Amino acid sequence: MATESFSPQTAASTGLGSEQRVRRRLLRMFRTPKGLIGLSLVVLFSLTAILSPLFIQEALSTKINVTARLAPPSPSHPLGTDQLGRELSYRVLLGARTSLMVAVLAVALSIVLGLPLGVLSGYFKGWTDLSLMRLVDTLLSFPVLLLALSISAILGPSVRNATVAIGIAFAPYLSRIVRSETLKVSSLPYIEAARAQGASDLRIITRAILPNILAPVMVQATISVAFAILAEAGLSFLGLGTQPPTPSWGLMIQASRDYLDVAPWTALVPGTAVALSVLGLNMLGDVLRDVLDPTFIFESAGAQ
Amino acid sequence: MTYLFKRLSLLLLTLLLISVVTFVLTKILPGDVAIMILGTRSHPETLTALRQELGLNDPLVVQYGRWIGDLLQGDWGTSLRFKEPIAKLLGQKILASGVIVVLSLLIALSLAIPLGVVGAVRQNRWQDTVSSSTALLGISLPDFFWGMVLILLFSRWLGLLPSSGFVSPLENLWLSIKHALLPAIALGLSLMAHLTRMTRSAMLEVLSQDYIRVSRSKGLGERMVVYKHALRNAIAPVITVAGLQLGYLFGSIIVVESLFNYTGVGWLTYQALLNRDIPLIQATVFVIATVFMLSNLVVDLVYKVLDPRISFE
Repeated sequence: MATESFSPQTAASTGLGSEQRVRRRLLRMFRTPKGLIGLSLVVLFSLTAILSPLFIQEALSTKINVTARLAPPSPSHPLGTDQLGRELSYRVLLGARTSLMVAVLAVALSIVLGLPLGVLSGYFKGWTDLSLMRLVDTLLSFPVLLLALSISAILGPSVRNATVAIGIAFAPYLSRIVRSETLKVSSLPYIEAARAQGASDLRIITRAILPNILAPVMVQATISVAFAILAEAGLSFLGLGTQPPTPSWGLMIQASRDYLDVAPWTALVPGTAVALSVLGLNMLGDVLRDVLDPTFIFESAGAQ
Repeated sequence: MTYLFKRLSLLLLTLLLISVVTFVLTKILPGDVAIMILGTRSHPETLTALRQELGLNDPLVVQYGRWIGDLLQGDWGTSLRFKEPIAKLLGQKILASGVIVVLSLLIALSLAIPLGVVGAVRQNRWQDTVSSSTALLGISLPDFFWGMVLILLFSRWLGLLPSSGFVSPLENLWLSIKHALLPAIALGLSLMAHLTRMTRSAMLEVLSQDYIRVSRSKGLGERMVVYKHALRNAIAPVITVAGLQLGYLFGSIIVVESLFNYTGVGWLTYQALLNRDIPLIQATVFVIATVFMLSNLVVDLVYKVLDPRISFE
């Protein structure tokens, strides 16, 4: 990324950090307990989501077994069964795929929508900025979940529509962050230098601005994926997201509502899955933010 | 005063834009009110007649003008699902939601500030670990999951609090609070977690400043230094974050009120969405967005009071 772009000369004063420095800080950060746990949880979650559909057939997770309804965890039912006798272990493993797919695609969509908006208003400023940000601010007046729920309900509940709804609802937040980063970067001397060399707006944006706002966008994306997992679970819980019988953590929690006292594991299994994946992403997001913030000093003695 | 004037005129503009977005959102997406009223198997001619009667064939701008005009005159239309005037429905529900929102704010602030302060004062010791882990756990679990845990614990097992329903505080204040308590806790937990993290980092920043060292070296007690001198300066960013997080709260009431069958605006919104009751969706979405925007204004004003250095001119 650095070789082809106009890199800032003085890393420390611009607060952007050279690639090497960031890499060194990153390595150090992942030796702290928080970084290590966060990274492991995210890797575990991603591997589960990618690998489990290869090894577990979808039919196994939807197979109804009336003789083993609400069976507690035991050697024959590792995580117990739900109200229809379906294996929770299969359902929670395959649920990871639904969660990851919806969350990552939704965040990708929010970047596709929000990035150009933010870059254009931060780079061109003036009227472009004023009118675009008025629109963004108006959208920000709608609580994210309300926006996502309404879009999903009006489009008709399905996995695809939930993804689109979450993606659209997240876009204004992303464009706000992109705009402020673009404003910061485009006031730096090397942008002026690029302009003096006769570079076109398009070239400046793609070669000089985009590579240098990538880091904060990545941090925001990581945290957004965590929030998107929660949003998907919330939408499915209300019946406005993933539809049965597709395994989804939100749906599993919803189904467990009526069997809480007799079979608490039906809620605990998907609840723990949500918690671990979101926890991992949040921890990773925290660590990435600390790495990219050059004023941050490592607290843990073990990392020195 | 100029500031307030500017803010208020901007507020009117934003309100107008919110109403446009709400209207457009429900209009450009597929969904036919006439079919929703009469059902999919109704006669095409009756459908056409109803569309004509409801003015659905008019240009969008005309439809918007009629909607906003009626809205301003207090005619919010009739809910397709409840067959009742929307203004009346909303009037009943706003009080219910007000109770749990205020209660959850109180719970969140009263837990988050001490937890965050302890985390900062005892940085990197076990107290900090406890406070930071609580906060991380709070933001990592969905609020409806916490809600279910609370129902299981306090309602099913301990039998202390009811797990569903709403009682008006005007009728019976004690019973009203009892019904609102569990949803309010479920709603407030993630807010609490975010605020704890913010309080901790704001306190850490303030505690490292020179004036704190001065206060300590002139012999002030630690309690005085932390709570009077440091906290007062750390609280402003916490209030800002609280304002931002209100948006999250107003989204969560839809989930939490539905879980607890707590008949507030969130519950009403859910019913509207579930039944694709377009007029009710428009009204509830508009109301929630408006309240969110107004509360942001309040937060900004509080911020100015708390931190006199801020000038908006």
